[in-house]
Amino acid sequence: MESYQRRSPVSFTSRMAESVRRDGWEVALRYHDEGKGPFLIDLSHRPKWDIQDADLSGIRPMGIPVSEVPGECIFQNGFLLNRMNQTQAALWHLSGESPKMPREFLYTDVTDGYALLSVIGKEMFFIMEKISASDLSSPTKKPPFLIQGPVSQVPCQIVVLGENEGYFGLLIACVRGYAQSMTEAILDSGVEWGLRPAGENIFCNWLEPLSA
Amino acid sequence: MNRLTQLPTLRINPAKTLPFTYREKKYQGMSGDTVAVALYSNGVRIFSKSTRYHRPRGLYSLDGECGNCLMEVDGLPNIQAETSLLRGGMTINPQNIKSFEKDSGPDKVDPAGFDYQKFHKPYKMWPYFLKRIRNAAGLGVVSPSFRMKGLFDEQYLNAEVCVIGGGPAGILAALAAAEQGLRVILLEARPWLGGCSDYRSAEYTPGVALYSRARELAKAVEDTPNVRVFSHTFMTGLYADNHVTAFQIGAQGDHFNERYMEIRAESVIAATGCIERPLLFENNDLPGIMQASCAHRLARTYGLLPGERAIFSVGHDLGIEAAIDLSDLGLPILCVADCRPDVQDPRLIKELTERGIPFMPGWVVSKAEGGKSLEKVTLTTIEGIRHHAVECDTLVASADLTPAAGPLFMSGAKMEYDFHTGFFLPGQLPPKVHAAGRLIGLYDPFSIEASGHLAGLNAAKDCGASVDALLKTAQKEIGRLPGPARGSKWMLPPSVSLNRDIVEKIFICLDEDTTVKHIDQAYNMGFDTVELMKRFTGAGTGPGQGGISGHNLPLVISRYHSDSVMPTLPGTVRPPLVPSFLATYSGRSRDMVKRTPLHESGKAAGALFQRERVWKHARYFSDDFTCREEIENVRGNVGVTDVSALGKFRIFGPDAVNALQRVYVGNMSDIPVGKVRYSAMCNEDGRLIDLGVVTKRGEEDYYFTTTADRADSAMEWIRYHTRYDQWNFHIVNLTDAFAAINLAGPNSRELLRKITDADISGDAFPFMACRTFALRRETSRDSETSNVSDISAIPVRVMRLGFVGELSYEIHAPASLAESLWDLLMEAGRDFGIRPFGSEALDALRLEKGHVIIGRESETRTTLHDLGLGFLWDEEHAGISTVGVPPLKFTRYQTGRLRLVGFKTEDPSRAPRDGSIIVEKTIRGYVCTARYSFTLKEAIGLALVESRLAKKGTRLQIFEDGMKKDERLYATVVSTPFLRSVDG
Repeated sequence: MESYQRRSPVSFTSRMAESVRRDGWEVALRYHDEGKGPFLIDLSHRPKWDIQDADLSGIRPMGIPVSEVPGECIFQNGFLLNRMNQTQAALWHLSGESPKMPREFLYTDVTDGYALLSVIGKEMFFIMEKISASDLSSPTKKPPFLIQGPVSQVPCQIVVLGENEGYFGLLIACVRGYAQSMTEAILDSGVEWGLRPAGENIFCNWLEPLSA
Repeated sequence: MNRLTQLPTLRINPAKTLPFTYREKKYQGMSGDTVAVALYSNGVRIFSKSTRYHRPRGLYSLDGECGNCLMEVDGLPNIQAETSLLRGGMTINPQNIKSFEKDSGPDKVDPAGFDYQKFHKPYKMWPYFLKRIRNAAGLGVVSPSFRMKGLFDEQYLNAEVCVIGGGPAGILAALAAAEQGLRVILLEARPWLGGCSDYRSAEYTPGVALYSRARELAKAVEDTPNVRVFSHTFMTGLYADNHVTAFQIGAQGDHFNERYMEIRAESVIAATGCIERPLLFENNDLPGIMQASCAHRLARTYGLLPGERAIFSVGHDLGIEAAIDLSDLGLPILCVADCRPDVQDPRLIKELTERGIPFMPGWVVSKAEGGKSLEKVTLTTIEGIRHHAVECDTLVASADLTPAAGPLFMSGAKMEYDFHTGFFLPGQLPPKVHAAGRLIGLYDPFSIEASGHLAGLNAAKDCGASVDALLKTAQKEIGRLPGPARGSKWMLPPSVSLNRDIVEKIFICLDEDTTVKHIDQAYNMGFDTVELMKRFTGAGTGPGQGGISGHNLPLVISRYHSDSVMPTLPGTVRPPLVPSFLATYSGRSRDMVKRTPLHESGKAAGALFQRERVWKHARYFSDDFTCREEIENVRGNVGVTDVSALGKFRIFGPDAVNALQRVYVGNMSDIPVGKVRYSAMCNEDGRLIDLGVVTKRGEEDYYFTTTADRADSAMEWIRYHTRYDQWNFHIVNLTDAFAAINLAGPNSRELLRKITDADISGDAFPFMACRTFALRRETSRDSETSNVSDISAIPVRVMRLGFVGELSYEIHAPASLAESLWDLLMEAGRDFGIRPFGSEALDALRLEKGHVIIGRESETRTTLHDLGLGFLWDEEHAGISTVGVPPLKFTRYQTGRLRLVGFKTEDPSRAPRDGSIIVEKTIRGYVCTARYSFTLKEAIGLALVESRLAKKGTRLQIFEDGMKKDERLYATVVSTPFLRSVDG
C-alpha cells in the first residue's frame, strides 16, 4: 500500500487541528487557534493550469469563457479563470472535487509551479499595502480582478476576489521557490492585525456566497 | 522653568512628565514635548556648536530647518531634536561641543573656499588635512557595527488625490476632493493637523479663534472615511507621475518607529505653507535669536515663554501678532521693530499701542552681541542713520515669510520671482499638480481656505469628477477675497554694502557657517550663480538643505547682478527634503530568497546552505569545505545532488522550433523524440550566455533547460528576439514546477534499476537520451494503493547526461513529489552508500571534466570559440538570423582574443585562488577556477589567457593577491578535459 506524499512549499508553525488527504496532499482544513481573522490560507495544493493560444476567444476552459480584457477574471463552478495577456490565461480550481486537466495542447499543469496563498480579513488591504504597491482597492476595477505585480519584490499574480460580510479576500500566486519567504513576509506584514494561518475551511466558507 | 499649563492651544500633557537624561544629569519634560522643547524648558540654551567655527547655536525654528538642534539621542547621532518627540528614559547628548565654557569661535572667519585653496597644494597632502578637518568638525560618530534598534516598516499607498500639508488649505482641499467620492491621502509633518492656525489666538470670526477653527477642520477631515490622514509624516520627494515619497514617525503604540511610504496619486496638491526668511545682521546666529513662529509656538503649543526680555525685529504681520500674543502671555517685550515703514495691519499696531509696546516701523536689527548667548541688540533705521542699543536675552527676528516650495520645485513647476510678495512662486504648474494656501502667497484665513477648496476641486477634476459648476463658484469666491499681501524685500542691514569691506559674521547659512562676506568673496572670484556659489561656499549644503539660506542666497546674489532686474532663482531642490535614517528607507529589508523543493531534504541531510543569486543552495554537506568525501563518492560510487534551480520550460506551437532556432546555435530542427540536444545561446556579440538541453515532448512541443542564472530571463529573451516574426508559439516557465536531481556515479544505473521497471540498460537508454517513466520502491511494485487519490509512483522525466563526467541521470519530477523522490533514492541507495553532494563538490567535479560555468569561465569578451565550444554551433541550421551567429562568423578566426585553457600547477598540491592573475610584464589573463583534484591528485584549473599563451605546454606565471612583488606560482597549459568522462 505504497503512497507518496506531495508537499506544499508553505510551512506554518501553527498546529493542524484537522486535515484530509487528497491526491497525495495533506490538506489542512483547520488549524488550532485560528482566531477571527485576518487569515492566511495555503491553497498551493489547488490545481492550477496555464492556458495559451494565439486566439483565446474561442476557448472555453471547463465551459467558462475567457474574458476579453487582460486583468479581468471570471469565477464559476469553483474555477477562477484569469485573463493574463493577449495569448495567456490561468485557470485555478478553488473549491470542489479536484478536476482532471484536459489533455489538450494548450493546457500546461503548473500546480506545482506556484504557491497560492489567500489573505482574508477586514484588514486585508492594510496588510497588503505593506508589501505591495499595486492598487488593490482601485474603484475602477470590479472584483474579481487580476493584477500582475510584485509583492515584497517578487513577481506575483494577485487576484482581488471580493468582499463577504466585511471580510475582503485576495489570492496571491508566486513561483514555488519564493513560497516560504512570501508566507513569512505576509505574516510579518499582518502581525499588527493578528494575521494567522487558517485552514481551507475558512477559505471555502468565505468563498461560497461569492460562488452563487 | 515655569510652564503655561492652561492654554487651550497646548499640545502637551502637563500631567504626564517624562524623565530623561542630558549630559548624564536627570531632567523632566512633559508628554508631547519635543526633545528640543524639553531641553529648553530645563534651561538649555546652547544646543550645538557650528561645524566650522564652533559658534554656539540655539533653538531657532522649531521645525528642524537648520542643523542647530542636531543631537545624539539614545546613542544615535544627528537626531533633529526640534521634531523628535520626547520619550521617557531618553539619553540625550550634544554633538560637536568640546567646551560649553569657551565663547564663540575665532574672531576672523576663513575666506570663502578656504578648503579648496588652502589644503590642496601639494595635492598629496589633501587626505592628511581632510582627516583632521573632519575630526575637528566633530559631528557625530558612526560605528559600522552599530545595529539600529526599533522597527522600520514600509507602506505603499494609492489614492486619487494626495495633499501635502495639513493646515487649513490642505484640509479644505482634502475635503473638497473627498466629497467627490475620491480616495484622498493627507500628509502633515507635525504630529497634528492645523498648520499655522493651530496655535494662534487671533480671530477667525467673531468669537472663534483661529486655533478653534483649525481643530474643527481637523476633526472634520479625520472623520471623513475616504480621507486617510498621516500626521508626523514628512514628504521627502515628488517624482514623475505624481509618485510621492515620505516617511512617518511612529506614535506611542504604533507598530513601527519610522516607516517609509510611497504614494501613487492621480493628482497632488501642495499646501505646505511658509517658513520664515531670516533677517541678516551681525551675529545673527547667537543662541537667544529665533524666528517668530518658534517663539510663538514655544508659548502656545508647549507653554514655554522664550525668554525674559524680548525684542522683536520682523517684516511681516505674523511677527507682530506673535508679539502681541506673547505679551499677553507674560513675555516682557521691549519693542517691536518692523523693517517695513508702512503696510502693517493697523489693527495690530493699535494692539501694540494698547499694551504699551513701543512700535518702531522702519527700524531693523543690525547687530547682536553676546558671549555664549544673546545679551544686547542694536536696532537701526533702515536708512542706517539712527541706532539704538537694547539689552535683552531674546530676539525674535524674521525678515518675512517664504513659501516651503520644495514639493513644487521637485514637481518641475516653473518658479518665478513675484515682486509683489517677494516670494518665489509657481508661474506654471505641471499637469495634475496644484498649490494652495500660504504657499501661493495668501495670508487671509478665508482666502487660504478658499484656495484649498479650489485646489481640491481642481484635483477632483483631474480624476474625472464632474465639478465644473462647483469650480466656477469656487473661483468666484476666491476672486472676491483678499489676494497675496505685499511682502517685505528687506535683506541686508544698511551698514552692509556689497563689494565693500563687509563685516564678518553675518551668517546666511547657519549649517555651514557661510557669511555674507563669503558670498562677496566668492562672487568676486567668479562664482556668480546660485549653483556655483552653493558649492564653493557650502551655503545650503548642510543638514537644513537650504531651508534657512534658500531664499536669501539668491536675493543676495541678485544684488550683484546689476544688469538684471529679476532675481536669480534658488538652487535646485533635490530629494530627500527631510533627512531620515537609512534604516527607514531600508524598511523591513526582507530577504526574499528562493528555496528548492529539496530544501528540507537537504537540511535534514546536514546541508550547509549558501545564497547563490536568488536561491538558497546546498553548498556543502559537511564541515570539510574541500568536499573530498563527496567528490570521491561520486567518482567511485553514487552521489545525488539537487539541481532544481535549473531553468525549465515548455515551448509549444507551430513555430516553436523556429523560436528555438532563433536563440540556439545548435540544430533544433531534427531533435528526435527521446533524444536530448545540448546547445548554447549567445548574445548579439556572440558571447555565450547560456548552455542547456532541448528535448522533444511531442509534435510541436519541446522541453528545454537553461542555467539557473538565465531561468528568469530566458522567456523574455526568446520573446524579444522573435518580436517581429508574428510566430505562433507559447512558452511556459516550469522552473519551479519541477525538481531536478542529478544522480551520478558508476552505481547510478544499478540504483535506478532498483526503483523502476523501465529498461535503462545502456542500449535502451543511451547517453543524451530522454525517457519518461515512474519510480517506486521495489517492494511496492506489485501492491495496490489503498486509495485512488494516493500517489503510487513518482512520474519522472529522466535525461541521461551529466555535468560531472560520470554515468549520471538528471531526474525531473513534479516539485510536490521532490522530497518523496529524494527519500526514495536515498533509501534505494543505502546499500550503495549513497551520499548527497553540494554545489562546491559539483564545481570541483565539473572542473575535472573541463566543463564551463557561465560567468566563471566566460565573461563579456569571450565568444563560443574562445571557450572551446565552437562545436556547438551548427553552421548549416543556425544561420545569420540566429542571435550571435554574425559575430561568431567574424570572430572565429580573429587573433588576439582571450582563450580558455586548462592548466596544472607545477606544485601539484597548490591550487591558485580563483581570480588570480596571469602575468608576464603585464597582465595576460586570469585564473577562472582552480582546485586540488582528489581524483587526479594534483591541482588543476581553467584560465582565460591571451591567445599566444594558449598553446599546450606553455608555462604560465600566476600572481595571487597578497604575494610578494616577485613571487609567482607556475603552471603549464594542458588539454582538457583533465579527466576522461564515462559519459560524453
